[in-house]
Amino acid sequence: MADSDPASLIEAYFERGWTDGLPVVPPTEKSVAEMLAGAGLRRDEILGEIPGRNTVVVAEKVAINAALAGCRPEYMPVVAAAIRGLCHPDFAYHGPASSTGGSAMVLIVNGPIAQRLKLNSGNNAFGQGWRPNGTIGRAVRLTMMNVMQTRPGLLDRAVLGNPGKYSFCFAENEDEHLWEPLHVSRGLNAAQSAVTVYASNSLYQVYNQLAAEPEPLLLCFADALSNLGLPNIKGFNQALLVVAGEHAEILQQSGWSRRQVQDFLIEHARRRVADLKRAARLPGEPTAADETTWRYFFEKPGDILIVRAGGRAGAWSACLPGWGNKWTRAVTTPIGEIP
Amino acid sequence: MSSPLFDPTAGPVGREAPIAPRPARLDGLRIGLVENTKFNSDKLLLRLADRLGRRHGMTVSRMVRKRSPSHEVDEAAIDALRKQSDFVVSGIGD
Repeated sequence: MADSDPASLIEAYFERGWTDGLPVVPPTEKSVAEMLAGAGLRRDEILGEIPGRNTVVVAEKVAINAALAGCRPEYMPVVAAAIRGLCHPDFAYHGPASSTGGSAMVLIVNGPIAQRLKLNSGNNAFGQGWRPNGTIGRAVRLTMMNVMQTRPGLLDRAVLGNPGKYSFCFAENEDEHLWEPLHVSRGLNAAQSAVTVYASNSLYQVYNQLAAEPEPLLLCFADALSNLGLPNIKGFNQALLVVAGEHAEILQQSGWSRRQVQDFLIEHARRRVADLKRAARLPGEPTAADETTWRYFFEKPGDILIVRAGGRAGAWSACLPGWGNKWTRAVTTPIGEIP
Repeated sequence: MSSPLFDPTAGPVGREAPIAPRPARLDGLRIGLVENTKFNSDKLLLRLADRLGRRHGMTVSRMVRKRSPSHEVDEAAIDALRKQSDFVVSGIGD
């Protein structure tokens, strides 16, 4: 129990270490019940498990965290689906959640629910100002901290972390999409809503104002995806590209397919072995053969996820390097909505 | 007036994880190694095993390579380690 004035209640949650460092919205019986009803969940329903941590994620706790984060009840189906995605074996939660690399869990929302909830997919899609973007991602992170044993300094060993660890949720711009939306490219139908969870420890904005064709533009992406400080240089990367503004128009007008873009990036995201050795990313002294031997960073087109989001004006896009498909893979989960 | 707080936390669920019996002596034991794919982890584990071999006559019975540091050791590998090893050395961090 705590003093019921709002400021005292908020302080009580801080004192118990139950927040992400920002003030929370104190839940009530009513708000928790509404959160569960928003996703049609029973209190004791299990949303997922992380066996290696002896963690079981129960709906009621997720509802409390969603209420703390400031979610509206209608956001809860997205939160629940994202948690299911984090618990999927392919996501291999322990690595991206605990690593010194300090990943943000990027949530990409597709399908009809994105517009209904007014998730931002346009200007400032990664930034502040939209309640669903801010609070859905926050609810997932609070659940990770409070339920999934992912507390900084304990089983979250991030050296630096990144601001996306507070919240990182946006919708894809499906109205002006270059091709099919992300969730369709990953096997779902367009009428189905879905959320894709993807672990990335950085967000690198790519600028190019002069390119008028795909090749020079994509060389910038390839360069960003093959820098010497990349976490994984072993050749089985996964990456997320968020194509925006004028860059999206260039690709759209070129007629290039998603596969062509992916193939181009696979071919050009590479470094000479000698470069990697000089930078001590590989052991040993560079040999003459190393000067002409290339190491490619991607092996499969499907490991390069491409979405469209962001404002229409401007020559900015973004690369978000991942960890490698053997360590964690993006997981796309259908969002169960209440009819 | 006071209001209830809603506890958002959940601890790990209790699962019995008994500690394996300690060996009565070290000489001649069979070592199982679990390599998590971190850079040089195989070298470090083998060097450790080599020292144990020289000091106590131990031998490496099996080295298991995990899919990645994120993943657990699979059941088949655990079963093999159980059958072929007297103890297991695991765990390489950054």
